[in-house]
Amino acid sequence: MAEVRQGVVRWLPELLVVLTLAMLPFPCDALFGSVDILTRILIWGIFGLGFDLLFGFTGLLSFGQAAFYGCGGFVTAYLLTSGDLSNVWLAMGAGIAAAAAFSIIVGILALRRIGIYFAMITLAFGELAYFLENSPLARWTGGENGMPGVPAPHLEIGSFDFSFAGSWASYELVAACFFLGFVFARLVVKSPVGIVLTAVRQNALRTAALGHDVHGYKLAVFVLAAIFAGGSGALLGVFQGYMPPDAFALQTSGQLVIQTVVGGVGTLIGPTIGAAVWLLLRELLQQLPVLGDLWLFILGLVFVTLVTVLPKGIVGAAVRLGSHSPFAQPKPFTMHRSGERMDVAGQALLAPAPIAIAPDRKPAELAIDVCNVSKAYGGIHAVAGVSLALPPGRFHAIIGPNGAGKSTLLRLLNREESPDSGRILLHGIDITAADVTTAHQYGLAKSFQINQLFPQLTVRQNLRIGALGRQRGPLRLDVFRSADGFRSVELLVVALLDQLGLTGCADLGVNSLPYGEKRRLELGLALASRPSVLLLDEPLAGLSPGEREGIKHLIRDLRCGRTIVLVEHDMDAVFELAERITVLHEGRKLAEGTPQEISGNRKVREAYLGRMAA
Amino acid sequence: MPTLSQFLSQAFNGIALGSLLALIACGLTIILGTLGVLNFAHGAMFMLGAYVAFVVLSHVDSFAAALALGALALLFFGLVIERGLIRFYYDRPHEDQILVTFGLGIMMVEAVRHVFGGESQRVPIPSWGRGIVNLHFFYYPLYRVETIGIATLILLGFYLLLYRTRIGLVVRAGIEDPLMVELLGTHVRRAFMVVFSLGTMAAGSAGVIYAPLAAIIPNMGEAFLVQCFVVVVIGGLGSFPGAIVGGIIVGEILSLTTLINPAYAEAAIYAVMTLVLIVRPRGLLGAVGRA
Amino acid sequence: MPRLISSRNQIGDISLSRRSLMKAGIGATVAGIFLPYATSSGWAKDYPELGTFPAGAKGSTIFVGGVMPLTGPYSSSGKDMRLGFELAIDHLNDGSRITERIPTLKNGKGVLGKRIEFQVADSETKPDPAVQSATRYIRDNKAVMLTGGVSSAVSIALEELGQREHVIFMVANSGSNDTTGKDCQRYGFRSQLSAYMASKALAPVLAKEFGRDRKVAYLVPDYTYGHSIYDSMKEFTGKEGWTVATEQLAPLGTTDFSSYLLNIANSGADVFANLAFGADADASTKQAQQFGILTKMKYVVPNISQFQAKELGPEIMGGTYGTQAWWWTEADTYPLAKLFVEDFEKKNHYKPRWGASEIYLQMLVWADAVERAGTFYPIDVIKALESGHKVDSIYGEVWYRAGDHQMVRPVPVMVGKKPNEMKGPEDFYRIVEIVPGEQVMPPLDETGCHLQPYET
Repeated sequence: MAEVRQGVVRWLPELLVVLTLAMLPFPCDALFGSVDILTRILIWGIFGLGFDLLFGFTGLLSFGQAAFYGCGGFVTAYLLTSGDLSNVWLAMGAGIAAAAAFSIIVGILALRRIGIYFAMITLAFGELAYFLENSPLARWTGGENGMPGVPAPHLEIGSFDFSFAGSWASYELVAACFFLGFVFARLVVKSPVGIVLTAVRQNALRTAALGHDVHGYKLAVFVLAAIFAGGSGALLGVFQGYMPPDAFALQTSGQLVIQTVVGGVGTLIGPTIGAAVWLLLRELLQQLPVLGDLWLFILGLVFVTLVTVLPKGIVGAAVRLGSHSPFAQPKPFTMHRSGERMDVAGQALLAPAPIAIAPDRKPAELAIDVCNVSKAYGGIHAVAGVSLALPPGRFHAIIGPNGAGKSTLLRLLNREESPDSGRILLHGIDITAADVTTAHQYGLAKSFQINQLFPQLTVRQNLRIGALGRQRGPLRLDVFRSADGFRSVELLVVALLDQLGLTGCADLGVNSLPYGEKRRLELGLALASRPSVLLLDEPLAGLSPGEREGIKHLIRDLRCGRTIVLVEHDMDAVFELAERITVLHEGRKLAEGTPQEISGNRKVREAYLGRMAA
Repeated sequence: MPTLSQFLSQAFNGIALGSLLALIACGLTIILGTLGVLNFAHGAMFMLGAYVAFVVLSHVDSFAAALALGALALLFFGLVIERGLIRFYYDRPHEDQILVTFGLGIMMVEAVRHVFGGESQRVPIPSWGRGIVNLHFFYYPLYRVETIGIATLILLGFYLLLYRTRIGLVVRAGIEDPLMVELLGTHVRRAFMVVFSLGTMAAGSAGVIYAPLAAIIPNMGEAFLVQCFVVVVIGGLGSFPGAIVGGIIVGEILSLTTLINPAYAEAAIYAVMTLVLIVRPRGLLGAVGRA
Repeated sequence: MPRLISSRNQIGDISLSRRSLMKAGIGATVAGIFLPYATSSGWAKDYPELGTFPAGAKGSTIFVGGVMPLTGPYSSSGKDMRLGFELAIDHLNDGSRITERIPTLKNGKGVLGKRIEFQVADSETKPDPAVQSATRYIRDNKAVMLTGGVSSAVSIALEELGQREHVIFMVANSGSNDTTGKDCQRYGFRSQLSAYMASKALAPVLAKEFGRDRKVAYLVPDYTYGHSIYDSMKEFTGKEGWTVATEQLAPLGTTDFSSYLLNIANSGADVFANLAFGADADASTKQAQQFGILTKMKYVVPNISQFQAKELGPEIMGGTYGTQAWWWTEADTYPLAKLFVEDFEKKNHYKPRWGASEIYLQMLVWADAVERAGTFYPIDVIKALESGHKVDSIYGEVWYRAGDHQMVRPVPVMVGKKPNEMKGPEDFYRIVEIVPGEQVMPPLDETGCHLQPYET
């Protein structure tokens, strides 16, 4: 029974959608005399499903979606009106394929940039597409007249021929497409792909550092959004029997963005709600004779008001209201003691994962081999000719006064930046030119000095993203799996939570955690992929003495044959934990040795305390 | 094959066009650079300037008065809008800012249409601008030559304001790092108000200057808005000199392309914008670290 | 389908004479064949359902939908059109001095006794919102007729919609040849003169005024209508020996024409022909004057926009040759036009332009056709419109040509008045010649128009 209930909850949105789609046409028909406006709203809704995945979930604001909407629509319309294809479904498929192909080209170019730049490239491409439709390709597209005479679809099953012309039949077709689109979009959101996209929006750097091919995922969702756009454009053409040129216009892209934001970003259903508001208001305002030509002014005013008053959109506001209701239960927050010794099974789960090396190669002698790397920023030599040779299992610390180059060295090791000269080898593999994601896939992970978490996700979800990286590989489009469907990953996450002492707050949002817990989660993210080489960048920074003890215990526990590089200012911790220490000063290696050797080294003391004090 | 005379005349025309675009764009770029707000109502501000010129010039015959009043009116209007609406959006995500300015733009255009009607209004060329001047290789309208001068003067004024005054220093620091400026104790929000108003004033002045050349209709700002985006991207987001260089470049592209194939002029600037965004996203003179 | 002319033969009046028996027999047979088609509304109508018929004609009122640009760059034309639309409906519903003089409309009580209800939707000068609103008028309001459209793109899209939904669309403003050319529709009718007609009427006047063998520089808006009128102008001025010095294509919505005008100024032409429309025409004309083109060359505007002279002023437009679909001084030639101008000016305080006059004209011509057909059944109305019956209208005698649904109507060629020639604040043009429509109609086989069969 509980399973049934769980099933219902899981599929609740889909159920609600199908019920609404089934019931809405009746009052609509009574009110307006036809269901056409519903059909139009749903076409915008399909367009919006893809856009919400792109913008709401992945954070990529595109102002050029009209390019794919129009592309899908015009290719479909052209094939049908020119007589090249008589099967409407095939033509629509071709239109969608064309939109997808176009989006691959645009995506490869546009996704090299982020934020406002990305928005402007997409805007430029949208306008270029509009221009192409209007001028050079006018012979095929009809130019500013558009393409009339698009036939309505019909379905032949055996000897029956169902025609989808007419108000109700069109609605049923579009509603069915919307439902299918919605189900698919939900699958994506609930899948590992969905959680990676959400992670990309919240912290793209960390997502890449956890082994996910961020650029690949961005391109995938961009193409997916274009598929939805192309499909909705094709539906518009066959529904209206006419493909309008303003499908390519900037205003279409803009309207999509407005509808999504007003309806609620990241809700999938938001764009549909926004479209309903826009289209219904437009019809309503124009029918009021007293308004006359002011209808657009009022529409603008309504939008400014809605955007101001409802920052999360209409659906977002509804959700917030729901969470304040007596039905929503506050989640408890309990502190948990940290550092309890783990059981053997848990330890086994968290042990470093085997490294993928070709069978004919013998394992390298050194886990990390840094050969004479240098990095300069302008005139400042942050790292100058530093070498480091760490056999597997070594616990190595790097210390030095401020500006010595410690963090830079770690960033070079983690492949966030490239050295100007020198080589870096990880288990014998040359990663000097590799990117963060590749290095991580080879078993390297870093815990950051400033927390790099996914603030709007829960602790469990954060760790899950960390664990999924190596489990799934850099790019996998497994939309039919559930995000929590990897048993080994879930077990690993449970074990990690236990080891980190975060089990009590596992399902709380990261934003609500105190600093100590966040710091432990930061460490946990690095551990989640079971790395064989772990870089710790000032893990104790900002912690109270009690918390420090806890983290030190944790660090000691997680050695299990890992190679660890620790950068720290807390000398007690360094001397307690490290086997060997390297001292950097002004970018160069000043000294290297055991803790005893270093503490007695005069040059080191000079570097830290100045000449007089030595 | 265009002749030398044709080429030179279009090249000169590009400068005239570009200086106007530079003026509009510098307003957009300082707003974008400092406040991070992509002002979709900027075209409407330009339009408003033109209408102020129309109203003033139907009562007095002084272009100087029209320019002064237009600039002041848009300065004041920018202040009101910033205090009344935009400032609630600084902590909101970019798309919300875009949308509120977009909605504002629509409201401005429709309000103007309601008051003045959809017919185009006209503003006479000032008496010192009538006639054609012989530029040796070609003839060119005198007023257009003068617009280069007027635009340059206004841009010079902005330059002095931004680079030689204390408030300008705050604004430029704010473009670099708004948080830091706030932490240093300066009322950065007040500076934001100044920035936004300066930006709208720039657009409004451009509107006044352009009024004698154009058909003044409520929708006249739309084409300029998108061209402005292109200028700002090419020149560099937030860069005042970038807006000038970008403006000239876009003006030249628009003019010179008509020698080859007039239909492709608009497409050409989008293609160049895309190229810049791919190859050097910070623009020609933009600051590093904004990609 | 043949109409049942009278019901009496079926039931009553059975007399014993052979003739009457025969009549009765025939009547009974006829009844037997057609009885299944009788609708619930009684014997008189046996039309099948088609489009919004009979649903839209059932009640005591009928609905006419207007789609015009109320916002966007053509909003001033749209406003003018709306006022003409409203005036026409007023006159049809309540009678007027004009409808009194048209035999079929004498009653002044609506059309076929039904009052007209109407709504106007904003096309925003874009085809998609126009199609959206028009579809709503058809599906929700059961409009028996649609009218409007200012850009040719919108008009053609609405024509297609009308064809598909079987509702008549009277194109109020569209100058492209394609509207009654390759995009003609059985359910679409157009009154405005096409680019072909305007050019054919204009070219001889230009030759007479400026001479033969002139060189023309063209500013052409880069869309179908622009190309259409360019082709027609080139053809007809070519017959007068005129050649093209340069063709400058400017994208729609260009605000700064300086680059194109420079090329035109350098082209060595004698005549500058500006094919732009609306605000584009205003801006380009203004800027052309600043470049000295208007002093160097003669100025021709083949299709003058409704408010161009008012917006630019007679100093610029004085001496410009061109055509408009109609100008209010035609009131001196056509008595009904005089009444129209008076009624319109009384209500709206300015002299009507051709946006208003075209839609007013078509409303009355359509109403006349419906009255003659005796029904709102679309095919019968179409046939009545195609019949060639001449309506004495505000444009004089007009009728539609059956082959392409283009109205045969006069083409006024005019020249702008300089300020000292004007006798009133709106007296912007002097009509040089009113060319009869028949003289400038394109040959049917050249239009590319293939009207669909009635029963599709």
